[in-house]
Amino acid sequence: MSRSRFGRLHAAAAALLVILVAVPRPAHAYLKFGVAVNGRQVTVKWNQTPIRYYVAEGGVPGVGPPQLAATLAQAFSTWQAVPTASVSFEFAGYTNARPGEGDGRSTIGFLAEPDLDRVLASTSLLIDDVTGELLEADIFFNSVFSWSVAPSGEAGRFDVETIAVHEIGHLIGLGHSAIGETEVSGSGRRVIAAETVMFPLAFGSGSVTNRRLRADDIAGVSDLYPDGAFEADTGSISGRVTRNGEGLFGAHVVAFNPATGALVGAFSLNAHGEFSIAGLTPGAHVLRIEPLDDADVESFFEPDPPVEFDFRAVFFNQLVVAPRGADSGSVEVAVQPK
Amino acid sequence: MTRLSALLRLAAVTCAIVPAHATVLLPAELGDLSREAWAIARGTVVAVEARWTDDRRRVETIVTLEAESSLKGALGATVQFRVPGGRLGRYRNIVLGAPEFAVGQRVVVFLGARGPRLPYLVGLGQGVFRLAPRDGGWMVTPPAVLPGAGTAPTRIVRGDPARRAVPLEDFEREVRMLAGLGP
Repeated sequence: MSRSRFGRLHAAAAALLVILVAVPRPAHAYLKFGVAVNGRQVTVKWNQTPIRYYVAEGGVPGVGPPQLAATLAQAFSTWQAVPTASVSFEFAGYTNARPGEGDGRSTIGFLAEPDLDRVLASTSLLIDDVTGELLEADIFFNSVFSWSVAPSGEAGRFDVETIAVHEIGHLIGLGHSAIGETEVSGSGRRVIAAETVMFPLAFGSGSVTNRRLRADDIAGVSDLYPDGAFEADTGSISGRVTRNGEGLFGAHVVAFNPATGALVGAFSLNAHGEFSIAGLTPGAHVLRIEPLDDADVESFFEPDPPVEFDFRAVFFNQLVVAPRGADSGSVEVAVQPK
Repeated sequence: MTRLSALLRLAAVTCAIVPAHATVLLPAELGDLSREAWAIARGTVVAVEARWTDDRRRVETIVTLEAESSLKGALGATVQFRVPGGRLGRYRNIVLGAPEFAVGQRVVVFLGARGPRLPYLVGLGQGVFRLAPRDGGWMVTPPAVLPGAGTAPTRIVRGDPARRAVPLEDFEREVRMLAGLGP
């Protein structure tokens, strides 16, 4: 997503700064995985760390098991280094098992999956339906494509570390983020911007742009595995998205901090149109609300309940303050039909 | 806002955690899907059944469609395709990014085929379009991403008033043209 889109309204919105009453903060933002267990939704996350993982034997041209293990270690360390989160990982060794097998071990490696023709990599979770416990999380890189572990990337090959950072986000329980933008031309559709490593669509081969976590990713992992003063030092913004007075499900809500340039996103996640964006740097934010009408919605939501698309994107007409250690208090953003 | 009302609202929102879906995909627009698909079918889901793969290492789900129409390819009245992951007994294997289906859903699917196995969805979740009743007809929603015109790139802007749900007949006409099958 282009920051300039937010910047255009920055000056005007600054005059409309509102100071809202600080209230106890909600702790939900982003898309976190959840499963229904005995009629209730349970967040999918690891109860114990370090999270142990195995690297599958077998490689692809240019990336053998030792290179894969070293690159994965780098990608895991990227998540582990977030100072406001407490999650750690441990390389448990090599295995002749394949990713995706239900053996109780989290296995990462290459698999040839020609039927998954546009899937560069994928994470699968094995969950106990009775308890909701996450038993295993496997990642495969599709060896149908060409891969590289070159430090600066390699033209024509997809960067293992970039894709690993994304998939490890899923392994720890994060869903997709929609803070990204695409374009089409005669040569097809391509990603032109992403302010999160959890955007589901990949930049072209050779790109190493998404080896680095952004504000949205850091807020997400910190929300799932908070550490230190995360909750005391950050703030949240919550509210409702409505159309004709009715709540909208699945509206994408993005908070932009003009002082830091950070973008953190979330969705309205119930029939009342309620959203909450946690992990924000305290201060004033611009809110943008937009429909997910350019997306492979299956990457974000199940088909039921249906996501609402029939509304125009809008900037909230006031700046909203995320107070330190507290919530903004509910803001209501009304959107108009297309 | 009182502390109590804030907590109640928090409970409501945190109960709405979204089920898992996630992969890294190469993006596809409708032209890619139409050309790459071996077959394109419209129909209603009549069965969804998880099973072990042939090598018994993994779980996959077989989706059965009662086909109403074949936009591309010669398909029979019943169409089956595979989706990775599924629920077997006590355990659920979620392959992130694989779409989920339920009996009664009406869809258009873009299918690939390789060897003797059942077809698969082209582009995984990108290869399924959901149909919703509206104003006495059926709409494809959200709208498909159409191919760009010429070499100049066009940004896809969320919330663009032009990005509306598309009547089914218009969508199918577009697909046939993109697949090179005429209007």
